[in-house]
Amino acid sequence: MATAPDVLFNLRNNFYLGAYQAAINNNDVPNLSEEDAIERDCLVYRSYIALGSYQLVINEVDSSAATPLQAVKLLALYLFSPDSKENTISSIREWLGDAAIGNNPILRLIAGTIFMHEQDYNEALKYTNAGGTMELYALNVHIFLKMNRSDYAEKQLRVMQQIDEDHTLTQLATAWLNLAVGGSKIQEAYLIFQDFSEKYQMTSLILNGKAVCCMHMGNFDEAESFLLEALNKDAKDQETLANLVVCSLHLGKPSARFLSQLKLSDPEHVLVKRGLTAEENFDRAMQTVG
Amino acid sequence: MLTKFETKSNRVKGLSFHSKRPWILASLHSGVIQLWDYRMGTLIDRFDEHDGPVRGVHFHKSQPLFVSGGDDYKIKYVLEGHDRGVNWASFHPTLPLIVSGADDRQIKIWRMNDSKAWEVDTLRGHMNNVSSVLFHSRKDIIVSNSEDKSIRVWDATKRTGLQTFRREHDRFWILCCHPEMNLLAAGHDSGMIVFKLERERPAFSVSNDSVYYVKDCFLRFYEYSTQKDTQIIPIRRLGSATLNQGPRTLSYSPTENAVLICSEVDGGSYELYIIPKDSFSKGDTVQEAKRGVGGSAVFVARNRFAVLEKSTNQVLVKNLKNEIVKKSALPIVTDAIFYAGTGNLLCKAEDRVIIFDLQQRMVLGDLQTSFIRYVVWSNDMESVALLSKHSIIIADKRLVHRCTLHETIRVKSGSWDDNGVFIYTTLTHIKYCLPNGDCGIIKTLDVPVYITKIFGNNVFCLDRDGKNRSIVIDATEYLFKLSLLRKRYDHVMSMIRNSELCGQAMIAYLQQKGFPEVALHFVKDERTRFNLALESGNIQIAVASAKEIDEKDHWYKLGVEALRQGNSGIVEYAYQRTKNFERLSFLYLITGNLDKLSKMMKIAEVKNDVMGQFHNALYLGDVQERIKILENAGQLPLAYVTAKTHGLNDIAEDLAAKLNDNVPILPSGRSRSLLVPPTPVLCGGDWPLLRVMKGIFEGGLDNVGKGAEEEYEDAADADWGEDLDIVDVEKIQNGDISLVLENGEENEENEEGGWDLEDLELPPDVETPKATTARSSVFVAPTPGMPVNQIWVQRSSLAAEHAAAGNFDTAMRLLNRQLGIKNFTPLKSLFIDLNMGSHTHLPAFPSSPIISLAIERGWSESASPNVRTPPALVFNFSQLEDKLKAGYKATTAGKFTEALRIFMSILHTIPLIVVESRREVDEVKELVIIVKEYVLGLKMELKRREFKDNPVRQLELAAYFTHCNLQPPHLRLALMNAMSLCFKAGNLITASNFARRLLEANPAENHGQKARSVIQAAERNMRDSTQLNYDFRNPFVVCGASYVPIYRGQKDVLCPYCTSHFVVSQEGQICAVCDLSVVGSDASGLLCSPAQIR
Repeated sequence: MATAPDVLFNLRNNFYLGAYQAAINNNDVPNLSEEDAIERDCLVYRSYIALGSYQLVINEVDSSAATPLQAVKLLALYLFSPDSKENTISSIREWLGDAAIGNNPILRLIAGTIFMHEQDYNEALKYTNAGGTMELYALNVHIFLKMNRSDYAEKQLRVMQQIDEDHTLTQLATAWLNLAVGGSKIQEAYLIFQDFSEKYQMTSLILNGKAVCCMHMGNFDEAESFLLEALNKDAKDQETLANLVVCSLHLGKPSARFLSQLKLSDPEHVLVKRGLTAEENFDRAMQTVG
Repeated sequence: MLTKFETKSNRVKGLSFHSKRPWILASLHSGVIQLWDYRMGTLIDRFDEHDGPVRGVHFHKSQPLFVSGGDDYKIKYVLEGHDRGVNWASFHPTLPLIVSGADDRQIKIWRMNDSKAWEVDTLRGHMNNVSSVLFHSRKDIIVSNSEDKSIRVWDATKRTGLQTFRREHDRFWILCCHPEMNLLAAGHDSGMIVFKLERERPAFSVSNDSVYYVKDCFLRFYEYSTQKDTQIIPIRRLGSATLNQGPRTLSYSPTENAVLICSEVDGGSYELYIIPKDSFSKGDTVQEAKRGVGGSAVFVARNRFAVLEKSTNQVLVKNLKNEIVKKSALPIVTDAIFYAGTGNLLCKAEDRVIIFDLQQRMVLGDLQTSFIRYVVWSNDMESVALLSKHSIIIADKRLVHRCTLHETIRVKSGSWDDNGVFIYTTLTHIKYCLPNGDCGIIKTLDVPVYITKIFGNNVFCLDRDGKNRSIVIDATEYLFKLSLLRKRYDHVMSMIRNSELCGQAMIAYLQQKGFPEVALHFVKDERTRFNLALESGNIQIAVASAKEIDEKDHWYKLGVEALRQGNSGIVEYAYQRTKNFERLSFLYLITGNLDKLSKMMKIAEVKNDVMGQFHNALYLGDVQERIKILENAGQLPLAYVTAKTHGLNDIAEDLAAKLNDNVPILPSGRSRSLLVPPTPVLCGGDWPLLRVMKGIFEGGLDNVGKGAEEEYEDAADADWGEDLDIVDVEKIQNGDISLVLENGEENEENEEGGWDLEDLELPPDVETPKATTARSSVFVAPTPGMPVNQIWVQRSSLAAEHAAAGNFDTAMRLLNRQLGIKNFTPLKSLFIDLNMGSHTHLPAFPSSPIISLAIERGWSESASPNVRTPPALVFNFSQLEDKLKAGYKATTAGKFTEALRIFMSILHTIPLIVVESRREVDEVKELVIIVKEYVLGLKMELKRREFKDNPVRQLELAAYFTHCNLQPPHLRLALMNAMSLCFKAGNLITASNFARRLLEANPAENHGQKARSVIQAAERNMRDSTQLNYDFRNPFVVCGASYVPIYRGQKDVLCPYCTSHFVVSQEGQICAVCDLSVVGSDASGLLCSPAQIR
């Protein structure tokens, strides 16, 4: 039974729920142990990365920083310069091979994240499957869902539930899995996001979660209102824009503006790519069928 | 035993409750009779009439009398059976039963009839003489007390002892039961106690529109909006063997429909019930509840509840299976826990409360309090009221103290209204408390009630019988005060106008709170009005009041205030009214009003006021006048000196003559000057005041601006034929275009049986990833599963579903096979939209790729997880129905290009529509035909306009248009058009044919007239001036490409999709109507529903 206050709880929670700016703004927690301070710095830098401020992280983390911070810097490098991806990947492989630091959970987490971006799920799992922290387990759930293996995701989730059923990541991962398996579970996912929205600051991550649940339940009107609320909070949020495109399509409303906004804010977004591929596919299919 | 009141006195030998008032009489061994108010705890009176011990007292039931002294009971029965002297006997309130207590330490129950009484049972247990025994007036129990210093409670039917309460030193002598309420009193050696045996507060929990509560042995719920009371489930009969073990608190989780009921059983325990969704159980079978021991238990999240474990001072968080999820030690020694928002607990200790976050394990708020009994959160969870026995503390959600109220009478319950006012009850009153701590009485209560919820003027509460009641209160006063507090002066103003709020208390409140200008509006009494006006600086009203009062004192006060404000006009007026000439003069002096000042001098002269006259002369600097005054007053030397000094030598000499030789000698060597007051910078008039926005209370409420009338927009640019009278277009539009497409039963077979058959095929999991820490252990990553869109493709033969899945080539092949479609270009954006709308985007782990989730259609609450259903498509049939209506509207308005665009888009979307039932399939097919006719018709009409120089072709196309299958209003318009064109071109026979058809089509009155005149004209002159390719007697269809009639019997080819007819030469071309399919090609037909495949 833990008795000491969990001093980094708010920071972690803000980060997981997508309140990145709040995580950055409220990072001044007094009397941290060295270990906690490193975790705090990691969370802050990861928040900056989530906000797209890669350069800041690359500049601020110097070579004398602790391993976890170095790993976070690698993620920033990876996302910042697509050209030097190869370099980043080879250095992360090198570090992972180093017996002294290779087992560091943050390093493994970052490796998993990078290989997920590379869509090399096997490689990602190689480093993350052993788990060890809630974040690693959650990432495993995420990876398995990307692989369309909800059965594996569920097993991983059960491990999380045994450790701490009420942990924010456990709840989030439950919602992801529920949405992936669909059916009656979608309602449970909605309730999880609803709980978050009642308890914590409303973020576009939570609003998008609610909206996605609504869309899967066929309730596009309600989804639209959540998404517009999210758009109010952050007019450039890619997921909000992408979901708005989808939602507007289903409502028979014009979606072109959201799509062009999305193209501006993230030309590499899944939905943008889907649109481009669809166009190519259509023209190719016209050739063969027409 | 719940002691309500206790006194210290001589031995109490007699007791009597007043039936209505909270009074009790106690007669003492010393001969004194005391009258107590047991609610307030005060001694009302004492009566010293008796010299020796007073054995008994009794209130008269209805009159303000009581008797005391010797007992004069008429003995009707002799109760034989006690071994020793009987001390007390009493009747059952309703049944023919008697209970008696005696010195043999026994209690006996007797049954009686008209003539005799016989012993029924004996209750043994008292260790000494039984002093008094009686039946409880409201419960099936017997209460007795004895010289063994105990009060005992017995079950009257089972005749067993239930409970015993002991006193340390005092022998009990007398017992008495309140005739109506649940109260008992007992007298002992050194005073008396008033007590009750059981709590009467029902356990309840409010959730949105309803309150869940326990009554008898049932959980019930009451809906506020409908005022319906429903029994939900029976709950376990809690310890009937012991008293006061009923449910104390209740906690409800609305999402899970679960209820926690806590009671004192086993030193504190809870029971968890899940309310069955479907049926509020009819039977009496008690659900096997999940139980546990704990000080108190509350829900802290939708599916988590916290249980206080007092022995270790920790909180156990449990799930709905009653399994412990988490344990958390509490930072303070806690004796009860309450809900404080999701995941938070309000922990109560002896002298303080804290809010504790279970996840962060941190104290979020802390407040020193007296012993808190109940906690009431506001609806928005921003404020909390902590109720203790005699006080209420209001704090915010972090327990920052806002205000504390103290009550002399016990606080019972409370609830927040929507405006943030806390409404609470004491034993005797309903009261309010504003956010700033102002409080007041709303209503008196006859019996205590427990407020559950406030809706506007309605206070909903539970009474002591567990009945829901609604009390209507007058909220005006506190709403008024609240509006003042929040500075919502518009509300204040309208309340002043519309309600009866006046009263000294309200005026005093307003004055005290610094709103004299508001108070002004209530006051009729001029004196109060005057004072309030002065206080608020409202001179106008003050003047008006002063005039009414017309007393010196008030004028004076007005003058002072006006002077302060620099309003010299009013000051002058006030001084004039009080005839205060000195002040008036001085006022004129300082305002530089010399004219009036000289007038003042004259007035003084008239009034013979020498001093005043002289002062005024001084003010004016009028030397001659001064000399004159001095002279007249006999002050000749002074007059002389004055004249001499100011160089008025003539006068001086005259005066010197009068003075004879007594001429004063003036000091020499001094220069002299005339002292005249300086001229004021600002002469006369009021002081300039800053312009201030008129307060709402001065100007009153502005009249609400008149709502701008909405302009009605009419279809102005209607474009129907040249000669047509289009006045009625609008009427037609609103008229009978009613497309009756039944929409019912669309969910007829929503079960998707076809999909349920096979589950998602997943490779067998050979390697279960064990959560081992050893990374070296062999881990084989699973092979990726099949994406949902691939599953869609495998299972579907509907083109739209293939398109949504992104498999455009198979989608095209299907459309080609089913509908002969070859030209896919018009479908490009539709395909892409279907595909783009097929997945949602879920942001998951930070900085990781998002999860794309396939949207499936036909979701229902009971759908099983992991069973994939077909995609939700972005196009649906109801959208097309809306479009059809829009198309009709555009057609009516004559916007043909727009209408054509709409109809074409319908025609292009239909191949990508999926409906559920066969019936809907028929509707879709019907829609194709309807739309195709319009497309053809509109294309011809638009074509006609291009043939300005070819009148014959114009007439033909107008004629063909009337043969398209249009809605009646459109047909009428087309006929009007064709008729007018033909008539103008001199084709009278054809025109009259159109006129006849028009008359058959129920035309508007003026159109009908026109048609009749066309027929008349044609009859006079039966001829056609031009020859048309149009034989209306011979049935025909129009070729969709060349717009020529294909008469019956002539060969034609069809479009396999839209079924338009074409002349044979069009075979193999893309259909000119739908622009999709190859005319004359083979196709299997429209497939738009899984129902067609089954």
